[in-house]
Amino acid sequence: MATSQTLELQTRVAHKPFYFNTSAHLLRIGRERATTLPELLQALRTCSEDSIFQHTFRTLEEHHFIREGFSNDFAHWAFSVCHEPGLAERLAALDVREFTSVERMRERLVQIVQNYIENNSHAASHVAREPFYFCSSDTVVVPTPFVAHNLPEFADGLARVSIHSIHHHFIEARLRLKLTSNDFSLWLQDEMEMKEAAKRLNYIDIYTVTLEDVRRHILRIVDRALGK
Amino acid sequence: MTTKQVMNAKLSPVADMKSVVAPTERRRLPRLPDTPPVPAPPPRLGDYEPIIGCADLDEIRFIAKELRGRTMKMVNSTSLGGGVAEMLNRLVPLLTELEVETHWDVITGGNDFFEVTKAFHNALHGAKYQLTKQVQEIFLLYNEQNRQRMHFDEDLIVIHDPQPAALINARADSRAHWIWRCHIDVSNPNHEVWGFLRPMIEKFDATVFSSSSFARQLGIPQYLFFPCIDPLSEKNKELPDSEVQRVCDDFGIDRSRPIVTQVSRFDRLKDPVGVVQAYKMARKYVDCQLVLAGGGATDDPEGAAVLAEVKEAAGDDPDIIILDLPPWCALEINALQRASTIVVQKSLREGFGLTVTEALWKGKPTIASAVGGIPNQVIQKLTGALVHSVEGCAYQIRYLITHPELALQLGRNGHDHVRENFLMTTNVKRWLLLFRIMLRNELC
Repeated sequence: MATSQTLELQTRVAHKPFYFNTSAHLLRIGRERATTLPELLQALRTCSEDSIFQHTFRTLEEHHFIREGFSNDFAHWAFSVCHEPGLAERLAALDVREFTSVERMRERLVQIVQNYIENNSHAASHVAREPFYFCSSDTVVVPTPFVAHNLPEFADGLARVSIHSIHHHFIEARLRLKLTSNDFSLWLQDEMEMKEAAKRLNYIDIYTVTLEDVRRHILRIVDRALGK
Repeated sequence: MTTKQVMNAKLSPVADMKSVVAPTERRRLPRLPDTPPVPAPPPRLGDYEPIIGCADLDEIRFIAKELRGRTMKMVNSTSLGGGVAEMLNRLVPLLTELEVETHWDVITGGNDFFEVTKAFHNALHGAKYQLTKQVQEIFLLYNEQNRQRMHFDEDLIVIHDPQPAALINARADSRAHWIWRCHIDVSNPNHEVWGFLRPMIEKFDATVFSSSSFARQLGIPQYLFFPCIDPLSEKNKELPDSEVQRVCDDFGIDRSRPIVTQVSRFDRLKDPVGVVQAYKMARKYVDCQLVLAGGGATDDPEGAAVLAEVKEAAGDDPDIIILDLPPWCALEINALQRASTIVVQKSLREGFGLTVTEALWKGKPTIASAVGGIPNQVIQKLTGALVHSVEGCAYQIRYLITHPELALQLGRNGHDHVRENFLMTTNVKRWLLLFRIMLRNELC
């Protein structure tokens, strides 16, 4: 049964509507490639920010249907091609949501690989069976027709947009906002005054669920607030 | 006896096999069509909705919206046969349906031209070749003839592969952006031939390759478009179980027992003999049948020799079913893949490996060699199993037959991986994105 609070939430109108956008990416083959860990380290230092973004943030989107074992391309290469599980584990533990700039992420990657090489000298001379090819992506942000003026419209849009839109607003957003938050949380907090729900969204573990699961989690939080 | 041996002994129904009717007795004469079937009309965009969902389809429409009224031209060297023509047959109508009018032109040339381009193709794969002045003249002459015959009034011109590459000379008279779409691996080319083509290639605005490992260092942007399959084609569409059963009955395949399948031409690079060896090793532990389905043995002397080698390796094992099928048996291949418990692609060298894509799309646990474009598709133990030897292949066959839950999960992930990255609809989206990126300044 809906309480007065949920009734109020259902009818509350946002000053600023939520415009659902989506971003589409086209993979671009980069110049750098690495066949050893020192080469990887060097390339990590010099590659474009777009490359770091591609192999961390974007790859999560490309493999969003996998619930376990796929965190970023560097970790995957270290594990399956270099056979360095210790390095792979450290790289895989990186959570893109802790970074609000790609440069910070690059620094962390460099630090992990450098430390590993320093502590595992045998690993430095090992030549990988397959090179790591650095790529980047050209991004096109595309508006969708879904606009939310209130919470029911927000839930409706959320249910209907593509997974790429979820990634755009929920994961990529922190690079745009320079905040460890996301577009959905900010809107819920600022426009709907739903501070708790906004906070709960940031607890969703994107590395153990699929993006479709993320959508369901968010919808559940919103639906609960709507008394459904 | 170790625990593992006990487990294998328990799981292996090898001892019960005598009760199974011999496949040779079950096998009937397959009802194969003598001629290629009449092609079905190309699908409409909406036909893909049940496959990729409304949201992803809408996204393609949103991306196309800003390109409405713009035009594109695809140019290649054949309208029939081959993967490029097959792909363009589907892609062009879909782009046009999205109101991005797309034209498709095919270059013409004499036998001398196509002999040269065939030799270029092999040389770009690394074969030795003497690039004479006469050869260069033949290549340029036919390209020039085509340039004079064709018009380049569109906004985006896409030249497929090396054959029409010199059409770039029309660029000066055209307002279009020019793209070179290279479907072949030029990572280790004959330097003379690459040296001849490279100045032409670098006049394009961008290139598109099928894998990072296929590309060369160039002074222009290089994009990555994975090859794709059409989920609505004869080879990949959903089939009723009765159709799968009919094909299995025709070929004497027993669906009550595990089926391991490799679909490929009878070509040494596909290592069919290695597959037979892997099957025989696995068979000591688990019951299964092996299906080797392919073609190329009737029109290619080397194919016939490989087929003979495969038959010899198979010996008189009634559970090895070798099928030399004509190229138009797409429906039969589809049914065989769907009937399979496991699909294998034990190639020694590979391009992208679209047979792997087909198997993954059908949700089949797939064991494949880590060569060419296969690691883009088979992510170790997430979307399939990568192997490097006959022994590795045999072990994975045993493992996946005895661990059906893992096999099921790999199959599910593999299917999702293809849906996200290797379907015709993703290809449509990539072309639209590239078009938008090329026109970025004009669209703003």
